[in-house]
Amino acid sequence: MKDQRSYFEKADFQSDLPLQLLTAALGLTLVFLELAVAQWPVFYGSAPNLSLIFIYGMIMYHVKYMPVFTIFLIGIISDFLLSDLLGGRATSFMLLAYVMQLRLVRLQQSDFGQLWVDFAVSCAAVSLFQLLLFSAVNFAIPSLSPILFQIGATLILFPIGFVLIFAVHRLLQKVKMV
Amino acid sequence: MRVSDKARVRQRRIVHGVLVLISFSLMFLGKADLAALRNLRMGSNDFLAPIVDVVSGPIRGIETMIEGVRTVASLRAENVRLQGENDLLKRWRRRAEILESENRQLRSVTGAATVENRTPITARAVTAPGGGFAHTMLISIGSEKGIVRGNPVVTADGLVGIVIDVGRAYARVLLISDINARIPVILASSSWPGLTVGQNGQFLDLQFLPDEAKPKIGELVLTSGHGGVLPNGLPVGRVDQIKDGKIRVQPAVDFRHLSYLSVLVGGLDGIDNSNLDLADFYTPMPIDDPTRLLEGLNSSGKRK
Repeated sequence: MKDQRSYFEKADFQSDLPLQLLTAALGLTLVFLELAVAQWPVFYGSAPNLSLIFIYGMIMYHVKYMPVFTIFLIGIISDFLLSDLLGGRATSFMLLAYVMQLRLVRLQQSDFGQLWVDFAVSCAAVSLFQLLLFSAVNFAIPSLSPILFQIGATLILFPIGFVLIFAVHRLLQKVKMV
Repeated sequence: MRVSDKARVRQRRIVHGVLVLISFSLMFLGKADLAALRNLRMGSNDFLAPIVDVVSGPIRGIETMIEGVRTVASLRAENVRLQGENDLLKRWRRRAEILESENRQLRSVTGAATVENRTPITARAVTAPGGGFAHTMLISIGSEKGIVRGNPVVTADGLVGIVIDVGRAYARVLLISDINARIPVILASSSWPGLTVGQNGQFLDLQFLPDEAKPKIGELVLTSGHGGVLPNGLPVGRVDQIKDGKIRVQPAVDFRHLSYLSVLVGGLDGIDNSNLDLADFYTPMPIDDPTRLLEGLNSSGKRK
């Protein structure tokens, strides 16, 4: 008997795909913004890692809109544009996403102070991972001060990014309730 | 958890693993400097650089505004400083004219040839390094304008870097401060040869100087022209610190304020620029041969 189920299936109006695409576009815009900000003399050589704040916040509150392919895309595009070790950022971002997903429930129950500390550890781990790979591939250790400056600047900007993502999260919850 | 959910989680984990594996492999493929990957990189830069340029517009605007406010605040002091600098430059210009004339006469006596077969083409800096692992930047000029790998990039202050990748409308410049940049140089006052090595930071290391060399703080470091990729005599920086046998050089160019640059096109005839590992181009100075010293030559080049 011919299976006719597909002809009468409802259209999926609840698809996550549009929001996933929007998230990817926003993430890529942040990568471009990161490069633009690097043109300010104060951030020369170490622009804050805005895309990392975005990925962290999205995994915390909207993990279903942040598929791993989006993280790969954000990482690889910034690798292309910053000409870092190709795939270095992408790998570190994806590993961070994996580790975060394992601890997601505990993280979602933490207060802001604990999250900030966790983000600081995550940011340092991402930079350390990239540093180790870079040193292994190039047989050289780069100057550490720009890397430390980048971690510091990212940590300072984290609350702003977090508040924005949290505000969007609350807004979306309200919309759902209405 | 339902069976379909379990399957979905497993599927997500597999995709995650595969993507991590792909990006991990890309790191080694990227380092292998494959032509296909290089083309992909420059192709994507050609596509993405205009978007970065558009996003950078407002950011540059803010920077210009801040700079403007700062300039207005210090206009009077700036005017006094510029007048003093102008007087100094006039004196230097007179001195330079005298030296130029003297130099020309000396060149005619020794028969030295000057290399002037490079044409400067102006380009705009589209990106700044922005990360601690690579000091490169995109410039708004590419193969359309005759740019090839190995072209030096300069400003009025000195050497900025060297073109390492060329796309149709954009090119990537390796700055002399990058950890992979090795520039053959000489000390301006003593002519001892060495190499400046980038540290991905603010300063360069001066290495491979002979033991006899005694660099002084503030001494100018110029490109030596060894290997032929870079012309000789371009200012690279000044000796900034000598500590525990380590010589630190402050680059002549302030990389934080780069907007327009000149790419020196031409002058690479006979040089294989498909493999621009600068270290391979470095050829040491020839061993001293007393029979070829300039002392004792008369004006027609014959030995007395």
